Amino acid sequence: MNRKLLRTIALILPLPVIFFSLFTGASELVSSGDVWSLFFSPADKPADIVNTIVLNIRLPRILLVFLSGGVLAVSGSAMQAVFRNPLVDPYILGLSAGAAFGAALAMSVVIIPVQVSAFVFGLSAVGLSYLMALKNRQVSIISLILSGIITNGIFTALLTIVQFISDPFKLQSIVHWIMGNFQNASWQSFNLALLPALAGLSVLFLLRWKLNLLALGDVEARSAGANPVRIKIWVLIAATLASSAVVSVSGIIGLYGLIIPHLVRMLFGVNNKETLILNFMLGGSFLVLIDDISRSFRGFEIPIGVFTMLLCAPLFIWLLKKTNVGWQQ
Amino acid sequence: MAAIDNTLIKISDLSFSYGKGQEILSGTGCSIRENRFTVIMGKNGSGKSTLLRLTAGILPYRKGSIMIRGKELKSLKPEERAKYTGFLAQQHKAVFPFRVSEVVLTGRASYVKFLPGRSDELEAERAMDLLGISDMKDRIYSELSGGEQQLVMIARILAQNPSTLLLDEPISHLDYNNQLHTLKMIKHLVENRVTVVAVLHDPNMAYLFGDEFIYIHNKKAHEVHEKRAWEHPLVKQIFHDQLHTIEYNGKHLFIPQLS
Repeated sequence: MNRKLLRTIALILPLPVIFFSLFTGASELVSSGDVWSLFFSPADKPADIVNTIVLNIRLPRILLVFLSGGVLAVSGSAMQAVFRNPLVDPYILGLSAGAAFGAALAMSVVIIPVQVSAFVFGLSAVGLSYLMALKNRQVSIISLILSGIITNGIFTALLTIVQFISDPFKLQSIVHWIMGNFQNASWQSFNLALLPALAGLSVLFLLRWKLNLLALGDVEARSAGANPVRIKIWVLIAATLASSAVVSVSGIIGLYGLIIPHLVRMLFGVNNKETLILNFMLGGSFLVLIDDISRSFRGFEIPIGVFTMLLCAPLFIWLLKKTNVGWQQ
Repeated sequence: MAAIDNTLIKISDLSFSYGKGQEILSGTGCSIRENRFTVIMGKNGSGKSTLLRLTAGILPYRKGSIMIRGKELKSLKPEERAKYTGFLAQQHKAVFPFRVSEVVLTGRASYVKFLPGRSDELEAERAMDLLGISDMKDRIYSELSGGEQQLVMIARILAQNPSTLLLDEPISHLDYNNQLHTLKMIKHLVENRVTVVAVLHDPNMAYLFGDEFIYIHNKKAHEVHEKRAWEHPLVKQIFHDQLHTIEYNGKHLFIPQLS
């Protein structure tokens, strides 16, 4: 079976990707040989600087990038099932804009943890998009995208106000955060994101088969004796928790959660029971590879959020042209 | 077959309105017999779908009672209720290209905590076998014809294993051949001890295949168990007196009265 082989490759891909990414970086102090000997000939003790750069700068960053990519892809595919729309992701429904506003608010005005604020506002934004699109207990695909645009607009406007009243020093950190940047990744930020991300992922993983049920439609789910509203709320909270956890340490990484699930569907079909884990593995691996490119530039670094947006936007347009399902509801 | 009274569902005093709007059904009642094919007929907007949705537990009712095997429907939890009634909506639109077997398996939701097991897969296979669609289990649901999709959705509620299948206009969107095929499969299910209730519009199909009839008129349901159900006075009302009956080979056929 060709697909079985492909699946196995996708599942073990993270190992080589993470390992070889340790060799990539802007630092001139570390050569490939140094990294190699760090792992394979511990006898000739590597310099402290090599040790620090590889294990305390590169490794946590790579793991954080992997976690972020995986979480965005998994949350994206879960939301696509909830909204029965292959073209939504946390970004389109306003989660990122809401989370960005929440984070900026926490950074400049209110003294609450950035992550908590990002989560609360991220969830409110997704809820707002959903409620705006809700009419006669139904949500049409096109109105959901439109309400997402409005939500994005509202929170972007609010964000601008916060930026306007922030002092230049805080403003800089807000702008950096929004662009989506792993430059400040550390074990600390990885640990901060890990717990809520894993909590959200576990719930999604448990509910992965129920996503198929949601994807069929509300009446169909109800008829089969399920409570679609309850499952949707669980999925949305879990997906929002996980994505706002990574968004709050990495900034906004646009469209990524839309493209990867599409790629996975093209390769492995639509059965969420099988594809959720593949979304995590491929989503993580690809973002690490993209980050490798952005890390290889010496002197300056293109923020990864900018990078993925430029990369994914043409793909999104292509999908929009190609996908002709469900625009009438 | 002798008409023994084997009531499966007993509806009484049922009233319903959407929001604060006009009542769609007003203090009405009827019964559904076990292992029979009951056909619901009535004009557009008369409340056929509403009655079906109420019985399916898709719509909640406040006034009246729906008893299934002696249990009040609204007192049942959704996953219990699913063992009594399975509902097929008028039209289903697929967004994602699921395989047929994956669609049918979702019918098992009320039995599944998190992931379906081997027994659920077997039930799904049994349902597909019964409808003769096992050979399309690996095909993509959204790429099937309307008739094939309808059979897949019926298999899906069959996998749910409810006492009654409630089908809302199962043949309205199908071409003539598929209408016949679907009704034959429904008849086949009834012969295999499945109770089916369906909304149909075409009197020929209805009286050719139906065992029992429920006419909905003026917010009330009227059950008719007589052999010549088309002679009931309400039929004239439902079809505005435009139905002409002719006999052919011992069967009764219905043609519209033109002019």
